[in-house]
Amino acid sequence: MTQARNVDTGKAMRMGGGMALSKGFVTIVVSTIALIVLCFIFAPSAVTAGSLMGSLPFAAVLAIVGLGQMLVVQQGGFDLSVPGGVSLAVVIATHTANGNDTLLLNAVLFAFGCALLAGVLNGLMVAIFKLNAIVATIGMNTLLFGAVFAVSGGVPRITTDLLAEIAGARTFGIPNSVFFGLAILTLVSFVMKRTVAGRRFEAIGANPQMARTVGLRVEVYEGMAYVMAQLLYCTAGILIAGITREPTAFQGNSLLLPSVAVVALAGVSLLGGRGFPISVVVAAFFLNQLSQFALSIGIPYSAQTIVQALALVFGIGVYSIDWAGRFKNTNQRSTEEENHGNQTA
Amino acid sequence: METRLLKGGVAALALGAACTLGTAASAQDTPSWCGAAKATLALLDGFGGNSWRIVTAEAGREEAARCPNITEYFYADGQGDTQRAISDINSMAARGVDALVVFGDAGPAVLPALTNAYRSDAVVVPYRVNVGGEAGTNYTRFVGASFVDDGISWGNFIAEQFPDGANILFLSGPAGNSQGLQELEGMRQVLDDSYVFLNPEPFAVTNWDPSLTQQVLSAAIAQHDNIDVIVSDFGPSLVGALPVFENFDRSIPTIVTSDGNSLGCFWNENHENHPDFDLFTIETGTDNVRLAVQWAIAEATGGEAPDAEVFISSPFENSVTGEPNPVQCRDDLPGAIYLSSGVPADRQAELVGN
Repeated sequence: MTQARNVDTGKAMRMGGGMALSKGFVTIVVSTIALIVLCFIFAPSAVTAGSLMGSLPFAAVLAIVGLGQMLVVQQGGFDLSVPGGVSLAVVIATHTANGNDTLLLNAVLFAFGCALLAGVLNGLMVAIFKLNAIVATIGMNTLLFGAVFAVSGGVPRITTDLLAEIAGARTFGIPNSVFFGLAILTLVSFVMKRTVAGRRFEAIGANPQMARTVGLRVEVYEGMAYVMAQLLYCTAGILIAGITREPTAFQGNSLLLPSVAVVALAGVSLLGGRGFPISVVVAAFFLNQLSQFALSIGIPYSAQTIVQALALVFGIGVYSIDWAGRFKNTNQRSTEEENHGNQTA
Repeated sequence: METRLLKGGVAALALGAACTLGTAASAQDTPSWCGAAKATLALLDGFGGNSWRIVTAEAGREEAARCPNITEYFYADGQGDTQRAISDINSMAARGVDALVVFGDAGPAVLPALTNAYRSDAVVVPYRVNVGGEAGTNYTRFVGASFVDDGISWGNFIAEQFPDGANILFLSGPAGNSQGLQELEGMRQVLDDSYVFLNPEPFAVTNWDPSLTQQVLSAAIAQHDNIDVIVSDFGPSLVGALPVFENFDRSIPTIVTSDGNSLGCFWNENHENHPDFDLFTIETGTDNVRLAVQWAIAEATGGEAPDAEVFISSPFENSVTGEPNPVQCRDDLPGAIYLSSGVPADRQAELVGN
């Protein structure tokens, strides 16, 4: 794993920072524009104002969840506790408030408190105790769903009017959730690209051994990725609770695969390293619009799931596998074997 | 002393009379499907984590309690985990429970466990979800719900309201689920070619998830200018999605579905602003389990077989005629209860945690 992350760092260094960014960004933007053109030609209804107003809030939610997943992926991990984190925020926001606007603030604070706790535990398990990220977060996911049942018994409850207004209403004709998504994007981008802590975070993700050598506190940064991710999942869950009048207790289940897919599509290497927040948000819009396109032209649901999975494979294939290096290694190996064969013959 | 004896005698007489009356009353109340033999019964849910299942489990418990010869009642929740569901069935059979009523969410995956339980002399009654196999070989009896009849009820209402044909959007749960397919079959029996289904064949997939329903509906509304009727087999999942019509400045159309308190209250709050918003519902079917419990108890205790073999949901609300009921709403109770259920509304509210 460490070797692989170093290989990726080498690639990023060879390509140069700006080049790597533009590759992921340009690919996803061009793909999105191509998709919009396809929509205009084959499914104009998917790009009407009404349709976008209906689907953009879900794109915003996916973008926020994707940004959380991106932070973890940057540290070479995977966060499989997305469904539990989002679902717990949804049920706390609806059940604790119980339709009463005055209890909403308490509910939101409680939800963030739980997210903080879950994030700290994830961070401790992965960064300090060096548990495999997939194993640790899948365990946390089960724990979070236990909490979901404890809070809700699995029963949905209608959201409060205030939360529906904050998350579900529109300002200047644009769904409020979109503004939340943009605000979080700005915050994540600023911290990651314009602060010392953010740059260290990326450097550690790219090459933790080197970062440790130069005296950076690798474990703290790695652990913080899980904490921040949970806080973002929580934000997404609270938004879902407002956007959907009566959300189920398992609302996060459908977000796991797309959360990884948008990170992969955005050009973030699944082996760790640099993050591309803007590309993640564009990828979330792309994936959401792809669903709307598929719905509009009547593609069956099964095909839509396959499309999501293919998007994930595409992202991994393009950005996370060092094809040139692999071919080079294979060629080298076969040449060596050939030489070895000649010598023994 | 005499007085005490007399008092004691009177008390004993009174007690005896009360007991006799009580026995007579309970004998009168004991349903015919409750036989003379003693038995134990277990209700095994493949997934118990939503309000529909919570109310259903209570309906099953209530029904079993009507038979005094059921000496013990067990409930197990498979929590959506097939292995756990199978383990629950095996465990109840190993304990020697006489009758198992099973909601086989995992379908044919639980059939081998049911067959083993059946072969170990337990009465096994899967209900509502088809688990494959055959009655008499793999289990005692399957108590299904007639989703075709649900479709026919919906089709009849649509035909009455739109005699010249209509554009229909049909939403169901996961792709290929048999419930949706049977409902479509029922509607097609009643509605001719002048009724056009706008959704992809056989229905628009929503997984009964409100947020996916919202996205599906957004796409459908943008695509079709003239949706006359939306048919859904889980009414409450529409509540979050219907406000999408406001994004398009259009009235919510006629809704044909199953009942739920949140949907009834939503209609109350919104129908005046949406002139096309009529509502027709059938009972949501939380009482299907009662028929399954009756069959299981009849087989296990030697009682009379119930008359019905299949559960049929009756029409429940009709906002146009008010027959059999006008739209029902208890806004003092949670949205996630079902006023069509045999379980009293206040009891449901307690169970789902008001």
